[in-house]
Amino acid sequence: MATIRSAGPPVRKKDERIRRGLGERAMGRIFLAPSFTFMAVIALFPVFYALWMSLYQIRGFRQEFIGIDNYLRALSDPGFYNAVLNTLIFTLASVSLEFVIGLMFALIMHQVFVGRGLARAIILVPWVIPTAVAAQVWRYMFDHNPGFVNGVLNTEINWLRDPAWSMVGIIAADVWKTAPFVALLLLAGLQTIPKDYYEAARVDGAGAIQRFWSITLPLLRPAIVVALLFRTVDALRMFDFAYVFAGYSNSLATLSVYAQRFLVAEPQLGYANALSTVTFVVVMLVGLAFISRMGRHMVGDVARRGEKR
Amino acid sequence: MSVLSRRGVRAFAAGTSAFALALATGCGSPPGEEVGGEGESAGLADDPQFVWAVTGADRQIHEDVARLWNEVNPEEQVEVFFLAPTADEQRQAMFQDLQSQAGQFDVLGLDVIWTGEFADFGYIESLEDLRPEISDVSLPGAIDSAQWQQELYALPYSSNGAFLYYRTDLIDEPPTTWDELYETGTEAAEEAGISAYVGQGDQYEGFVVNYLELFWAADGELFDEGQTESLFLEGDAATTALDFMTEAYESGFYAEGFDSMVEDDARALFQAGEAVYMRNWPYAVPLLEGQEGEESEVAEDFAVAPLPTFDGEGSTSALGGLNNAVSTLSENKELAREFVLWAATDPDAQAILADNSLPPTMLSAYEGAEDPNFEMLRDILTDAHARPPVPGYNSLSLTIQDNLHPAYLGQADAEESLETVDGAADDALEQE
Repeated sequence: MATIRSAGPPVRKKDERIRRGLGERAMGRIFLAPSFTFMAVIALFPVFYALWMSLYQIRGFRQEFIGIDNYLRALSDPGFYNAVLNTLIFTLASVSLEFVIGLMFALIMHQVFVGRGLARAIILVPWVIPTAVAAQVWRYMFDHNPGFVNGVLNTEINWLRDPAWSMVGIIAADVWKTAPFVALLLLAGLQTIPKDYYEAARVDGAGAIQRFWSITLPLLRPAIVVALLFRTVDALRMFDFAYVFAGYSNSLATLSVYAQRFLVAEPQLGYANALSTVTFVVVMLVGLAFISRMGRHMVGDVARRGEKR
Repeated sequence: MSVLSRRGVRAFAAGTSAFALALATGCGSPPGEEVGGEGESAGLADDPQFVWAVTGADRQIHEDVARLWNEVNPEEQVEVFFLAPTADEQRQAMFQDLQSQAGQFDVLGLDVIWTGEFADFGYIESLEDLRPEISDVSLPGAIDSAQWQQELYALPYSSNGAFLYYRTDLIDEPPTTWDELYETGTEAAEEAGISAYVGQGDQYEGFVVNYLELFWAADGELFDEGQTESLFLEGDAATTALDFMTEAYESGFYAEGFDSMVEDDARALFQAGEAVYMRNWPYAVPLLEGQEGEESEVAEDFAVAPLPTFDGEGSTSALGGLNNAVSTLSENKELAREFVLWAATDPDAQAILADNSLPPTMLSAYEGAEDPNFEMLRDILTDAHARPPVPGYNSLSLTIQDNLHPAYLGQADAEESLETVDGAADDALEQE
C-alpha cells in the first residue's frame, strides 16, 4: 500500500507526512474499535433484533415466520392511525409552545438582575423532576377529586376523560415540564452572541424588537435547531404523560403507548416490534431531516466564519 | 475572579436547593398509586428448592403462607419472589421470565383472568389430574377461573368478590334491585347533600368488572357453555347495563369524577362520608371501620350487602383473586405441584388468608366464622361470576374499555360500541 501511494503524488516530503498521518489514523481506528463494538452491541443490536422479531408472529413459545404481515396489519389498523394522529398533534402543539415559552424564559434568564441565579434555578425545577412523577402529580391536579385545576381556572372541564381536553392537559403538562429544557439550550446560545452587536445596533438606532429580529434570532439559529431537534424527536416518542393520564385509551395513545399495549397488555411481541420499528423509523427520518436540512446551514456558518479568518 | 466564583457559589446553592425541592416533590407519591418496582425476594429460605412468584400486594399474607410451608417442609423450602403490586407489571415480569427462557419461577401466582392466555402460550402445565382433589373443596367460580377449554391449568388460592357498601344512617334496608338502589341513592344523596354512588369508573379493568356485574345482573352471559361463540348481544343485558351506566352518569347518580375513579378513590370518598353507596372489594371494611389509625367519618354508619340484580333475584359479583400454576420451565415440577395443591387445600394455609381478610377459596375456611360479613362473602362468592379466562381476555377487556367507557360518557354511539365488543368477544376465542 505504501508503495502505491508513494508512486502517486509528486512532492515526496509532503507525502511522507501524509503517510505518517494515515498510520496515526489507522491506529486511531484500532483504538476506537472497542468503543465502536460497544456502541454496536448496545445500540445496533437491539434495533436489528427488534426488526427480526417484527417478522414473526409470537404467541408464547410458539413462533411463526410471517414476513411483513405485521407491517401490513399496522397499515390497516385504525388504532395505529389513531396513534399516529395523536403523536403528531401532541408533537406539533407541544414543541411549538415549548419553543415560544422556552425562548421567553431564556431571554429573561439572560438579563442581568438581582436574584438571577435563583430565578434560573426556579425556572429549571420542572425539568429536574422525573417525568413519570410529574405526570402523576399533574394527573392528580387535573382529576375531578379534588379538582385543583378546575378550582384555579373556575371551570367544570373533564380534563382526564374528555378526549380533546385531556390532549390539552398533557400538552400543558409537557410544556410545563420541558420548556425549561428548551430555555436552557437557548440560553447557552444567547450567551455566545457578542454584546458588541447589540451596542452597535443601538448606536445605529435599532429598537428592541428590531434588535431581536435582526440579531438575536439569526445568531441563535444553531441553538434553536438543536433545541427543536431534541424536542421533536423526544415528543415523537412520548410515553409517560399519555400513559399516566389515560392508560392505553385511544383518546391519548401515542405510538409508544400503542406499541407498549401489544408488548404488555395484549402480548403480541411480533406486532409490538413492528410498531416499535415504525416509530423508530419515523423518529429517525425526522431527526435526519432536521440534521441534513438545518444542520447544513450550521456547518455552512462555521465554514464561512473560517473563510473570513 | 472573586466576583465570578462568588456568583458560581450562589448559582450552585440555588441549584442545590432546586434539586432538593424536586426530590421532595418526587418522593411524595400520589394516593392510590403504589410505587411499582422490579420485585424482590423475600429471603425466607437458606436453601430454597423452588420459587413462588406472587403479587407484592398483601405481601405479608403470602409470606406467612410460605413460612408455614417451610415449617412443615424444612427440607423442601420455598422462596417467595414478590412482583409489583399492579397486575400489568406482574404479568410482564412473568412473561419476561418465561419468554426469555430464564425460568426462575416455579410456581406462578396468576390473576384469575390469565389462565387461558398462559395456557395457550405454553407457559403453564396442565393440572387436570388434580381436579378430583379440589372439585368439592374449592369455590366453583374459582375453579372455573382456573381452567381453559375444560382443562385445569391452575389451582385456586385466593378469591375476591364485591360488596355493596351503604350508609346505615341514610338507608334502612339494602336494595335488592339496581332500580331501587338508584332511587334510594338519589333521594338520600339529595337530602344529605352528598353523592349517591361511587365505584370503579376509570378506563381500566375495574371498569370492565363494574360493567360486567351489571351485565350479569341483567342475566347476560358472555359465552356459551363450550366457549365457542359470543353471546354478548343475546337478549338485552348488554344494553340494559350500558343504559344504566349512561343514565347514572348523566343524571349525577354517579359521583363527580366517577369516570376517572379507581378502588381507592372511591374508598376515600365513601370514608369521608361523601357517598351513600359504594361498590368495592372487602379490603375497604377495616379501613372504613377506622382500624390501624385510619380516620373514618363513617366508622359507625356503614354496612355491607351483596350487589343487587335487575330483577331482584339473587346477587352478582365478579370474581377476583389468584390461582397458582406450575411453570413449564420449572426444574422442580413435582414439588411445585405439591405446593400448589397444598396452598389450595391445606386448612391452615387457607386460614391465614381468612384471618387477614383476604377471601380464601376453600369452602371449609368459611365455616364457623363469627363475622357475619364473612359468611355473606361466602354466599357472594358462591354466586359470583368468573370473568372468562379465555386467551384473548385482555384484548377483549381493552376493547370493552376503549368502546364502552366513551359510550357511557356519551362520547360514542352506544349501539356501535356494543357491536364492536361483540366482535372482540368472538375474536377472543379464536386465538390459534
